[in-house]
Amino acid sequence: GAMAPGKKITARIKRTLPVKGPQAPTLSELMRWYCLNTNTHGCRRIVVSRGRLRRFIWILLTLSAVGLILWQCAELLMNYYSASVSVTVQFQKLPFPAVTICNINPYKYSSMKDYLSELDKETKKALETFYGFSEGKSKVRRSVDEWNSTGSDFFKQIPLLKFEDFSKTATDLRSGQKRKIEGSVFHKDSSIVNSGDSNDIIGFQLCDANNSSECALYTFSSGVNAIQEWYKLHYMNIMAQIPLETKEKLSYSADDLLLTCFFDGLSCDKRHFTLFHHPLHGNCYTFNSGENGTILSTSTGGSEYGLQVVLYIDEADYNPFLVTSTGAKIIVHDQNEYPFIEDIGTEIETAAATSIGMHFTRSRKLSKPYSDCTETGADIPVENLYNKSYSLQICLHSCFQKAMVDSCGCAQYAQPLPAGAEYCNYKKNPNWMYCYYRLHEKFVKEQLGCQQICKDACSFKEWALTTSIAQWPSTVSEDWMLRVLSWDKGQKINKKLNKTDLANLMVFYKDLNERFISENPANTLVILLSNFGGQLGLWMSCSVVCVIEIIEVFFIDSLFIVMRRQWQKAKKWWNDQKRDRSGKTQQGSDLERQGHDNPVCIDEDLPTFNTALRLPLPQDNPLPRTPPPNYSTLRLETAFTEQLPDTLEVGQH
Amino acid sequence: MNLKKYFIRALHRLQKGPGYTYKELLVWYCDNTNTHGPKRIIKEGPKKKLIWFFLTLLFASLVFWQWGILINTYLSYNVTSSLSIGFKTMKFPAVTVCNANPFKYSEVKHLLKELDRLIEVALERILQPTPGNSSENASPPLDLELWHQIPLVLIDEHDKDNPVIVDIFESNQTALGNQTAGGNQTAADNQTAGGNQTTADNQTAADNQTAGGNQTTADNQTAAGNQTACSHQGSDNCTYRNFTSAAQAVTEWYILQSTSILSKVPLQERIRMGYQAEDMILACLYGAEPCNYKNFTQIYHPDHGNCYIFNWGMDEEALNSSNPGAEFGLKLILDISQQDYIPYLSSAAGARLMLHQQKSFPFLKDQGIYAMAGTETSIGVLVDELERMGYPYSDCTMNGSDVPVKNLYSQYNTSYSIQACLRSCFQNDMIEICGCGHYMFPLPERVNYCNNEDNPGWAYCYSALRSSIRHRQICIDSCKETCNDTQYKMTISMADWPSEASEDWIFHILSYERDMSTNVTLDRNGIIKLNIYFQEYNYRTISESAATTIVWLLSSLGGQFGFWMGGSVLCLIEFGEIIIDALWITVINMISWCKGLKQKRVQARYPDAPPTVSELVEAHTNLGFQHEDTDALPRDEVLPPEPGTPPPNYDSLRVQPLDVLGPDSDAE
Repeated sequence: GAMAPGKKITARIKRTLPVKGPQAPTLSELMRWYCLNTNTHGCRRIVVSRGRLRRFIWILLTLSAVGLILWQCAELLMNYYSASVSVTVQFQKLPFPAVTICNINPYKYSSMKDYLSELDKETKKALETFYGFSEGKSKVRRSVDEWNSTGSDFFKQIPLLKFEDFSKTATDLRSGQKRKIEGSVFHKDSSIVNSGDSNDIIGFQLCDANNSSECALYTFSSGVNAIQEWYKLHYMNIMAQIPLETKEKLSYSADDLLLTCFFDGLSCDKRHFTLFHHPLHGNCYTFNSGENGTILSTSTGGSEYGLQVVLYIDEADYNPFLVTSTGAKIIVHDQNEYPFIEDIGTEIETAAATSIGMHFTRSRKLSKPYSDCTETGADIPVENLYNKSYSLQICLHSCFQKAMVDSCGCAQYAQPLPAGAEYCNYKKNPNWMYCYYRLHEKFVKEQLGCQQICKDACSFKEWALTTSIAQWPSTVSEDWMLRVLSWDKGQKINKKLNKTDLANLMVFYKDLNERFISENPANTLVILLSNFGGQLGLWMSCSVVCVIEIIEVFFIDSLFIVMRRQWQKAKKWWNDQKRDRSGKTQQGSDLERQGHDNPVCIDEDLPTFNTALRLPLPQDNPLPRTPPPNYSTLRLETAFTEQLPDTLEVGQH
Repeated sequence: MNLKKYFIRALHRLQKGPGYTYKELLVWYCDNTNTHGPKRIIKEGPKKKLIWFFLTLLFASLVFWQWGILINTYLSYNVTSSLSIGFKTMKFPAVTVCNANPFKYSEVKHLLKELDRLIEVALERILQPTPGNSSENASPPLDLELWHQIPLVLIDEHDKDNPVIVDIFESNQTALGNQTAGGNQTAADNQTAGGNQTTADNQTAADNQTAGGNQTTADNQTAAGNQTACSHQGSDNCTYRNFTSAAQAVTEWYILQSTSILSKVPLQERIRMGYQAEDMILACLYGAEPCNYKNFTQIYHPDHGNCYIFNWGMDEEALNSSNPGAEFGLKLILDISQQDYIPYLSSAAGARLMLHQQKSFPFLKDQGIYAMAGTETSIGVLVDELERMGYPYSDCTMNGSDVPVKNLYSQYNTSYSIQACLRSCFQNDMIEICGCGHYMFPLPERVNYCNNEDNPGWAYCYSALRSSIRHRQICIDSCKETCNDTQYKMTISMADWPSEASEDWIFHILSYERDMSTNVTLDRNGIIKLNIYFQEYNYRTISESAATTIVWLLSSLGGQFGFWMGGSVLCLIEFGEIIIDALWITVINMISWCKGLKQKRVQARYPDAPPTVSELVEAHTNLGFQHEDTDALPRDEVLPPEPGTPPPNYDSLRVQPLDVLGPDSDAE
């Protein structure tokens, strides 16, 4: 009857709007009916079992099955957000990564002389005073000219100090005066001070300019570290005042750095390199930076087909205090990544061929809710100061820089400038060093909250490097090699190249396999539902239909029965009160009962002859025409009576 | 008549079925099916009936939808990876050691004499641009034949549009042979050709552009060492390969020339000219066991001459290592005798070594690492394995048999690898296009290596092929990686060796052992110590397993069906049965309808007394009866004998399936 056209259906629904309740008149009847007719397996057993013990056991079993289902489904739900990892390897033409190459020494020492002479003089004086080191005795190549001691006084503000009696008195480098130390002592190198050698302790003191009683004392166990740290501190001050264009000129040009270049079997030159100015490493050059829109790719692995460059490392022009090692630093990175060369660069030796074989791995994590990572960094409340795609490093550095600008009023030299800020220097921000050290300490101790705010990036590319070194040039080829390279270098330098000024670098793909490690959701909704279904089916042969049944029977029908009871009681009470016609009430209830038992009463069209004819056979069956084959027919009867009411009622109308 | 018999029997079979009309059938199905929804449609009141009908429909469509998703998931053949890390006894990798320099200079000097003199003079001229200063007056005449095939030229690009090309030798001989290869014009090219006498320099536009581009980089003077390669002498088909660095140009030029010379030397001779195992491998210790150069398998590698492979596993069992640490690994002392290097061929000095799997060919240019002379290089090894499932899970090959490239490295008896495939692919292309094989790769049968005499244009052909992106892509596409990929992750560290205090006696002993004399023949520039050992965790295995198996698919399908409708495969069979029944009903209805038409015609012809109601009922319900009656086939003994009497046993037969429920109702 449900297939009747729409109007008919609505009409019928209207006709039957007074909701008829469930068939069962009482709650227990309803329960019995439910148990007998439900699709779940346990209930029926409870009803049909004979004997109290058996029934009890079945109740127990059914309940435990329900419990198991609930438990297992909860487990399934809790493990829904788990990920499985898949690794795919694909052999293909691979994009060549960007390779950023820097000289370890940031700026040509000869051209920096104007800026650093004062500082160097100071440093040398310190060396002489504290360690008895003097220029003449050493093998330092360049002669230190007499410099005009115009003397800026900020060296005086943060002098190197030598601590005689550790912690309390110190000798000032400049004045030679002893003075008392106030404030807390920070030991940069270790927390344990070797008290026996207290004479050797050297360090410097940083004071809050606004409040001179607030001082922090930094000491180092080795003078090498102390001098370098102290030098760096002043060096950054000086560099912060030099505009970028000047700094770029002070550093190495591409022609200075790159002697030869060869990529994928073809010659390349400085046009393939992009200048990238790094605050601590000066001019760096990025090969294949993708700036002009094309990214080179490799279609053959092996050392011949990678990048081969010979670098000119002018060791004679190194800053003796700032850097103490010689060579170049390189980093292999993605075109969109910022090269954190000071953090994760690889150092390249001079007078050697460094061969760097790469394996490419791409990884991808699932973001929320699977793991706490970020796709683009847009959801991180830290402004990306670098003009590159998001990474954890970038976030941490940006976060620190922001904190620095907020609390110190100026930006730290090693990181890019936020809008409207400028780099710290002594002239404008006399207090910045103290502030910086304090802040940095907080940062390291995770008190700034940067580590909490910043999240991993969800996808990242990694080039695993295998570095090996060979002697280069070989003793027999050294002669002609150096001559030809000197010739290549041209007229710019007149001297013959030394092999310790050169570094040969080969960067290549070991193979063109791209490993892609990706996380995939271990579960989908479909699989979750299947698992639910499996659990329900395994323990109780239950399905969503059963759940609906339960809701229907236990909530709607039960409620209805209770309500009806109440209604009948009220009605009866009302009738008793008002009238004494008891027969009628009896009749009414009878009718009502029939109505419940007979839900089809409103159904179907009037019976026609044909429908009458279509009555199922079983009605005729009990006719004694055929001998009943023992008890089977009896059971047949019961089978049909179960089936019958529906069709019977059709007939009755 | 057999068919008819069968048909009638089928009709009877149907009579034992659940009903005679569609409705009955449906009702019977809904009532008796094990699927949860339909029963409700029958049992409930009219409104609930409606609700249940829609619910059942909804659930059924949900089930089908989700099944679709599941089957799709299954067919995408996903894999899950499992990772295991640890230490276990493993086969020690095969270790290939070579000298970076392929041949002893003292042995090949006579072959390369001409070439070396040529390059020396050429360098002289490059480095001293003022002519006349060269000190060639005393030297014997140069063999310019070699030169003319592939000359080195200088390209002066001060003028972007008119780069000046100077052949280093010609420039001296023909006074001021500053021929201009003007722009891209062939006229100018011809002029150049005339000046050169030997080479027709047909500079292509692209070349000019690159060359022109150089000009922008050069501030005042860029003198680029350049190299031309012509396909044939005197032909117009020439290209310039330009280099920004003379050092690079000279090296490349020398490699091309020496390749051509050495390719004519028979293999035995080449092996003899290389480094012998007893000279190179001075000491060997594997774990606590001593080994010597005899434990190494010699292999001739075109790049590096004689290479020696330890533990290759070709003839003998591969060695196992069951302990981590340097003490249980391989310790080698090598001598690379740097004094005997060919000066122009390889500028880097050291040993080239590589770790690879047993029975695989070492591709040193790709995977090899250097070890520096005068140092001790320690290599900690982690075996990084990737075990993948083959088709259809991932596109990889188990043994290379399904790759359409003929593996030329199989002559070494080595297993398939992607590097072997790519090289074979290149060599095959080279043979096809240039007519000869490249010296760096193995040869198939009946093909010779390229050399300048037999194949004058090979260098041009080779460089064209090498830079052809299309050919590379074809090779990349046709080669597949292997399913089991093993990489040896190396942690390399170096220290100076021997120490200053110990170097005297170490050199003495090693020299004595090698040469049986007290003269010290070794020095810091030649000696290398190698330690290769397993790390504390020596393996990291990523193995794939199918994420979706057929069992998974079935249980998921079952789960879905069970979840929404409580159904199982049996329910599907039930459903199928119902459909068959419905078909039968259709057939029967059709037949009865036909019968009806016939009867009507018969009735029209012989107007008879109209059938009684009971007759009609019988006719309607018992089709078998009607059928027989009208067809009048008394021969058919299977037919019910008495019209009007239902077949005596069919109801009891129908009970039969209900019997399954027997115990249940008994319990009641």
